Amino acid sequence: MKKFLEIMEKHFVPVAGRIGSQRHLAAVRDGFVSIMPLILAGSVAVLLNNTLFKWVPALGILTGINGNVWWGTFAVMTLVVVFSIGYNLAKSYSVDALAAGLISVASFITVTPQAHGDAGWGYIHWGYLNATGLFTGIIVALIATEIFVKLMKRKLTIKMPDNVPPAVGRAFAAVIPGMAALYLFGIVGHIITNVGANSLYDIIYNLIQKPLQGFSQGLGSAIILAVLLNVFWFFGLHGGNIFDPIVNSLYLPALEANASAVQQGVAATNIVTKSFYDSFVHIGGCGATLALIIAIYIATKKRNEYREVAKLSAPAGIFNINEPMMFGLPIILNPILLIPFILVPGILTFIAYIATASGLVPMTYVQIPWITPVGISGFLATGGSIMGGLLSVVNFAVAILIYLPFAKLADNMANEPNTSIHETSRKSMNQSA
Amino acid sequence: MLRVMLVCSAGMSTSLLVTKMKDAAMKNGIDLEIFAVSEVEVKDNIDQADVVLLAPQVRFLFNKMKQELEPKGIPTAVIDGMNYGLMRGDAVVKQALELTVNTK
Repeated sequence: MKKFLEIMEKHFVPVAGRIGSQRHLAAVRDGFVSIMPLILAGSVAVLLNNTLFKWVPALGILTGINGNVWWGTFAVMTLVVVFSIGYNLAKSYSVDALAAGLISVASFITVTPQAHGDAGWGYIHWGYLNATGLFTGIIVALIATEIFVKLMKRKLTIKMPDNVPPAVGRAFAAVIPGMAALYLFGIVGHIITNVGANSLYDIIYNLIQKPLQGFSQGLGSAIILAVLLNVFWFFGLHGGNIFDPIVNSLYLPALEANASAVQQGVAATNIVTKSFYDSFVHIGGCGATLALIIAIYIATKKRNEYREVAKLSAPAGIFNINEPMMFGLPIILNPILLIPFILVPGILTFIAYIATASGLVPMTYVQIPWITPVGISGFLATGGSIMGGLLSVVNFAVAILIYLPFAKLADNMANEPNTSIHETSRKSMNQSA
Repeated sequence: MLRVMLVCSAGMSTSLLVTKMKDAAMKNGIDLEIFAVSEVEVKDNIDQADVVLLAPQVRFLFNKMKQELEPKGIPTAVIDGMNYGLMRGDAVVKQALELTVNTK
């Protein structure tokens, strides 16, 4: 076991860690973080229309307000995230981020069809601006910003004399790189329409996004993703952060599609969404660590180290922050906890999936802040369904049951004179330096 | 004044530790400047640091950092896992101070 951990530390961890700080993935991740206020506002809007405003008939006339908020947020999600991705990518290069964001948006519209069906010319269909356009938007934002940054760095810029105000000087500097990016996409759009394909969106959506998203809705891939997150965490890498771009690109559109369906009064169809994971699987943080905290409390009677760490980690754990447990217990590189840590996400995902697919629990369509405590999270994410809250509590209980024997085992070993395994994990984490 | 630079992968979890370290330093009357950067920002900030501490998530950077920093006389280490997880600002401050004492 020790040898295995050493090999992983040497070869797997650096590679995976590098992926996590990879510039473009980080920009996508930060791009999604930036639009969180919008996503939450849109979620609240859809949630209100389906709960409070439905139950209280007097409020029925106000549903239009929520509809407007949904229209400005969820409905145009890709349009806004294109800006924030371009902005964040340029910022990581220390290049004019505002210009990059604006140029990304403009480039995105440049390749968006200008006519729609019978309406004729001059109408942009919202389908291009919402989550279905996401992959196209991400690709356009990244490429447009890369071109912009590369040209800015090569100083292919128009320089203004010193007495010109800085904002004007900066804008002029961005002219040539910006035009280059925009014209590139103008050309791309032109080629695409002239070879008979409708738009860049159609190509990317049909070839990449739709199959991937279809695949991601499967039970197998949902389980694999949840387990992978924990595998990365086991080696001390922030699984959540590293997979964030992927999770957001696949499961935020799923959430948005559900929300838009509910908003329009039809049934939601996507079982797995970001809120699905946050409410039913990541209870206390990745690996359902809050369940481990409770398991430790139940399994360890004597005063010992595990109990102390669990106690200190509990306040954060209620709000799904698991770093204290990860690094403090530690769960990281702890061979005893490896098995339950890998089992728990798989089993919880399975249970939640079956419960949702069978119709017992409604589909999640509300984006909740990931720090929302267990029970409340499930309740809100499913739009105020008691079954949703119940499912997250049931999963919580299942996780506790799975962790119990291993908590007891770890406790026994920690109290023994030759505490080799427990000490090894802590040592290998501090020593791999 | 001693300048402590913390390195982590995205800067999110480490910012809380920075706050706790500042509190601990103030409480004990130690003059410290503490700031956190992500892996990509290390190069630009290396001249502003007297001691560099790595968050456990980026511990694989240690060997590379040591190679770059040792010739400049800047000590570096990985933050102890438990101290990081439990956000023990005082313990990490102590680790930073001990590192600088050893190199003098």
